[in-house]
Amino acid sequence: MRLKSAVLRLELSSVETRIKRFIKDYVRKCGTSGVVLNVSGGVDSCTTAAISCLALGGRKVLGLFLPEEETYNAVDARHAKAVAEKFGFKLETVDISSALKACFETLPTYAEEDRVSRGNLKARMRMAFLYYYANRLKRIVCGSSDKSETMIGYFTKWGDVAADISPIMDLYKTQVRQLALNIGIPPEIAEKPSTPRLWPGHMAEEELGIEYEKLDLILFGLERFMSSEEIAGQLDLPLKRVEEIKRRWLSTEHKRRTPLTPKLGYRTAGADFRIPYATQ
Amino acid sequence: MPKKIDVALAQMDCRVGDKKHNIEVMKRNAKEAREKGADLVVFPELSLTGYLTRDLTYELAETIPGPSVTSLEKIARSEKLHMIFGMLEHSDKARAIIYNTAVLLGPEGLIGKYRKMQLPTHSVFEEKRYFRQGYQLPVFETDIGKIGLTICYDIFFPEIFRLLKLQGAELIVCISASPAVRRKFFEIFTAARAMENTVFLAYTNLVGLEDGLQFWGGSRVVTPSGHIIVQAKYDEEDLVTGEVDYGDLQRIETFVPTLRDLRPEFFDLLKNRTENL
Repeated sequence: MRLKSAVLRLELSSVETRIKRFIKDYVRKCGTSGVVLNVSGGVDSCTTAAISCLALGGRKVLGLFLPEEETYNAVDARHAKAVAEKFGFKLETVDISSALKACFETLPTYAEEDRVSRGNLKARMRMAFLYYYANRLKRIVCGSSDKSETMIGYFTKWGDVAADISPIMDLYKTQVRQLALNIGIPPEIAEKPSTPRLWPGHMAEEELGIEYEKLDLILFGLERFMSSEEIAGQLDLPLKRVEEIKRRWLSTEHKRRTPLTPKLGYRTAGADFRIPYATQ
Repeated sequence: MPKKIDVALAQMDCRVGDKKHNIEVMKRNAKEAREKGADLVVFPELSLTGYLTRDLTYELAETIPGPSVTSLEKIARSEKLHMIFGMLEHSDKARAIIYNTAVLLGPEGLIGKYRKMQLPTHSVFEEKRYFRQGYQLPVFETDIGKIGLTICYDIFFPEIFRLLKLQGAELIVCISASPAVRRKFFEIFTAARAMENTVFLAYTNLVGLEDGLQFWGGSRVVTPSGHIIVQAKYDEEDLVTGEVDYGDLQRIETFVPTLRDLRPEFFDLLKNRTENL
């Protein structure tokens, strides 16, 4: 198998249909009235919001734009609004700055300079707001994590990844961009650089030290059981670089699973309690 | 022995764990199949319970005969129809011994059953965790022809189909719960198994979603020469019927005499090599 961009090319109409059917089916089986999702203005959340509208109709989709003063970006705000208007869903803006400030002031160990802990709190605050809306409206939270970020653990545990369903979690970032363009997300959104916006100027590729085009091919190789040597050789990358990505993938499994517990009982949640997801 | 029969394929979106609902859907489909003139209606793998029952498997399994088989026998009797469906069967000797079973009913009641031989336990599949594999591969001589039963992943193993052919099967039925990522395999294998054995093959797949798995439908009846007589829709519930003309068998067996050309010595080699993989 040759690791070239062609291996990441999707059968777009089929993928679109399957994701729409998945959303529609899960919402129906849960008996909820729709979905709530965080629309940050980035490609993942805009695509997820748009495809949710295509699946459910705009009236069953509520987007929340949850800015905070430190990382507020007017372009993201414009993009979120443009997608809401184009796909016909309601977008509410709720500024979370004061809630964050209250947290910072309440925390005895708060440290201004610790931008990771501070940034993660922002993601978790958004999660809390989303679930509040979901509870009030009897809806489910629809996540917009992609496969690239999920595999390397590039997300906030119990933060941006927290959701009831994640319709695009099996698509790499570059595949999300393909899907975005296919369903009519404007190119300026579909192709813009990714940012978690946990702190000012926070850019994903810069922090990761690799472009998504390369990262996705490395992850695709790992998914297909290729060795690091083979991947590095094919992509003309230093072996150390591929090993770093592999280590990130393996060391972040704790972020993707239910919490680990010592096996004590007959059947254990997260281990050998195996119940179908949505029985009716 | 009839020369021709009409086979209906009932592509269902099952409710996981809800046998009552699923039997109602089967009843509706059986009635419609009969109205369309079908002699046999085929439902998907584990159509009684849905496919991904996980730990509910233990409480959903029944013996054969048992309450659900009795309910379905009534339907077969009242519609004067043969029916094939899938269910979780537990042994009458031990409650925790469970099989993934295909059941064949006729207008007179239970004709027989087949317990799945090849249990996929890889990727998203975990059948060996719950099921014991089957050991019997019967061919049933019925009023509607000599019928062999298979289930889903069995189709990846041509020797199962060859054994059925060697026992005289004219129609091999494969009931399935195949997710969309496996569609290409099944589209090719259904034709291949029919052609290499010169038999008719009726394939019925699930539709709908269970735990994120999307079943693709595409149920079909394939002739011994690989022609698709009838094909159900992709991804949606559907009921289709196709005519199986057993009169074609001799002509095609003459044209492609695979049975005549079988080389028994290859099977010894296969056995030896498989034991020493």
